[in-house]
Amino acid sequence: MDFTFDGQQIAFRDAVRKFLMVEAAPEMLRETWETESGRSHELRGKLADQGITAMSVPEAFDGIGLGDLDWVLVQQELGYYAIPDSLSDTAYLAVHLFNHMPADVALKREWLPKIAAGSVRIALGHPINPFVSDAQLADLLLLWHDNEIHALKPAQAELIRHPSIDQSRRLYEVKWTPSRQTYICPARNGRDLGNAIVDRATLAIAAQLLGLAQRMLDLGIDHAAQRKQFGKPIGSFQAVKHQLADVAVKIEFAKPVVFRAAHALEQNKPGASVMASHAKLAAGEAARVAARNSLQAHGAMGYTWEADLQMFMKRAWAIDAAWGDQTFHKRRVADAIFADGAALGPGVTFT
Amino acid sequence: MNDAAIMDVPQRSAEDRFRAEIADWMRAHLSGRFAELRHRGGPGDEEAFPELRKEWERELAAGGWTCVGWPREHGGRGLSITQQVIFHEEYARAGGPGRMGHIGEGLIGPALIRFGSAAQQKRFLPEIVAGAEFWAQGYSEPNAGSDLANVQTRCTQQPDGRWQVQGQKIWTSLAQESDWIFVLARSEPGSKGNKGLSFLLLPLRQPGISIWPIRQLGGGAEFNEVFFDGALADNEHMVGAPGEGWKVAMGLLEAERGVSTLGQQMHFSHELERIVRVAKQNGRERDAQIRQRIAHAWIGLRVMRYNALRMLAGDATSLGREALIYKYYWSNWHRDLGKLAMDVLGAEGDVRSDEPDIRALQQLFFFSRADTIYAGTNEIQLNLIAERGLGMPREPRGDSPMTTNNKP
Repeated sequence: MDFTFDGQQIAFRDAVRKFLMVEAAPEMLRETWETESGRSHELRGKLADQGITAMSVPEAFDGIGLGDLDWVLVQQELGYYAIPDSLSDTAYLAVHLFNHMPADVALKREWLPKIAAGSVRIALGHPINPFVSDAQLADLLLLWHDNEIHALKPAQAELIRHPSIDQSRRLYEVKWTPSRQTYICPARNGRDLGNAIVDRATLAIAAQLLGLAQRMLDLGIDHAAQRKQFGKPIGSFQAVKHQLADVAVKIEFAKPVVFRAAHALEQNKPGASVMASHAKLAAGEAARVAARNSLQAHGAMGYTWEADLQMFMKRAWAIDAAWGDQTFHKRRVADAIFADGAALGPGVTFT
Repeated sequence: MNDAAIMDVPQRSAEDRFRAEIADWMRAHLSGRFAELRHRGGPGDEEAFPELRKEWERELAAGGWTCVGWPREHGGRGLSITQQVIFHEEYARAGGPGRMGHIGEGLIGPALIRFGSAAQQKRFLPEIVAGAEFWAQGYSEPNAGSDLANVQTRCTQQPDGRWQVQGQKIWTSLAQESDWIFVLARSEPGSKGNKGLSFLLLPLRQPGISIWPIRQLGGGAEFNEVFFDGALADNEHMVGAPGEGWKVAMGLLEAERGVSTLGQQMHFSHELERIVRVAKQNGRERDAQIRQRIAHAWIGLRVMRYNALRMLAGDATSLGREALIYKYYWSNWHRDLGKLAMDVLGAEGDVRSDEPDIRALQQLFFFSRADTIYAGTNEIQLNLIAERGLGMPREPRGDSPMTTNNKP
């Protein structure tokens, strides 16, 4: 496969990056995260103006009609700038769900244009996660029940907030009763759609973890360049710089794994789920090493609330366990390798 | 696994009796109103019950269980190193709370015994032994962390002989709960590096001192910034002569790497036990990956334990090189244990909880992020091991005067 992105994809990524650099500076994120909702309608509106909320929505519903490969680059930026779960859950995951649901055009006609316009938030309650992100602020909850999919307004459910260790997250336990009124998708399709959502969420988080790892690395490099001890920037000491170099290696080797998974999902390739799991494992390792080594390079400052590093570390630690933790994804990889007739050996290694 | 059984091997029945005596005392006294202190306090939880923990120090004192390693002539219990380790182990095994008095007992007390005047010893040691006065450590500054010799806080002698202190300390544990602080400050204007420093004792509650908590990434605040603006120390409260501060400061740090850290293994053992319990409750024990990591953690803990026993068997009177290596070993092991705890919790670990097991494991995770940084970073520890332990050439240290000291 070809690992290069086309000019349009890169240009879109760069535009998003430039935008977030200004609009999602750490001090602004802190301010937003301190609020009850933890979300900024203003920022969501601006993100919509950038076209991010319309990315996956088909052109027939006022969207742009892009796919997983376009998203993977944007997700890295969302990670780098610690944009909370709601955006990806709404504009990437929920849209995928709507796009692939059998028929029910009325539902699509109602929600997809609003998503594209950035005027609604949608929260997903898949059984792989014990909590539902951003349920309170959502205009619609999409929830699985025995593989059926149901749609509810938050008012139809009981929401119990569980404060996260990561200030960017808003986690809720959702208590609800499935009914004919809430039912939107039969179990037969709901199971496959659920799996497709888990795969895409896995990919989204993998890409965000890459972005977070890069952010933590950049912060570590900045600190090591500015902080002096023994009359020199501490970044000049091998004990410090080698640790940051180790992070760079982890990130660079995780990137193609994430891109490969995005390609496989977009093309509906067999084995795409395993590739998504591999992507999250690799990116998760990069993020964990980035957190550990950047914190070490920061010294005691890295342990404070004041240093921005904590925002990105805690988000990385938190989402690393969301949509299936390491154990879950490692098991998916192992199951694929040990499956009867698994494609192993030199004939298939480089596909 | 019965830890006492391992100590048993070379017919040490007197030690067993001593062990039992401490266990009995802890059982009898860490109860009633003190019961809620079990497993509380200590790194990551220093903000818990400060007043009650001070009372607990006095309870310990009444039983003769403070400053157990100090010589009898200074009010200590005069225990051998082996007995001290037994004490610290049994204290931790019983869930004894983090010691509010540890800076007095473990750091400044031993430094005063070694470097202090008779008057200083008479003034300060009994108060430490009694659990009546609590201490904070004023070493690190914003620009003097790993490079401690770069201390910029100044002290100037007044006409009346007192010393006036100007400057800032940082990462000061328990400053808000302490009565006194020992400070490393520059007494010779224009001096650089480890020359021209002096070691002063100051009451913390005085107009020239202000204390500001530093919020940690987990949300708590057990470190502080301490600002000195014309704070005063009596002339007789300088330890050592003016300009000899570095010698005192370094002598004191040797104590920081001392015996009490060995008792921490029992504390670690509690944490590992908790992790295993949670893994059994939530089914993670069935996962091969988690099982392997728990086994690996257990192996690391045994390594520390055996190494402690090996040191003690060597009839050590001081703990040098082994203690140097020990900080590096335990801090990295414990940092991994913190991550293991979170991975055992899984997505549940992402949520703040009042459930004792979850709260304790989250606290363990957050604070263990700092283990490889405080009390000498990993990088400094490895330099020490390489340079002092292995005699390797010193790392080039820039234009700091510390390097110029090395020139022939």
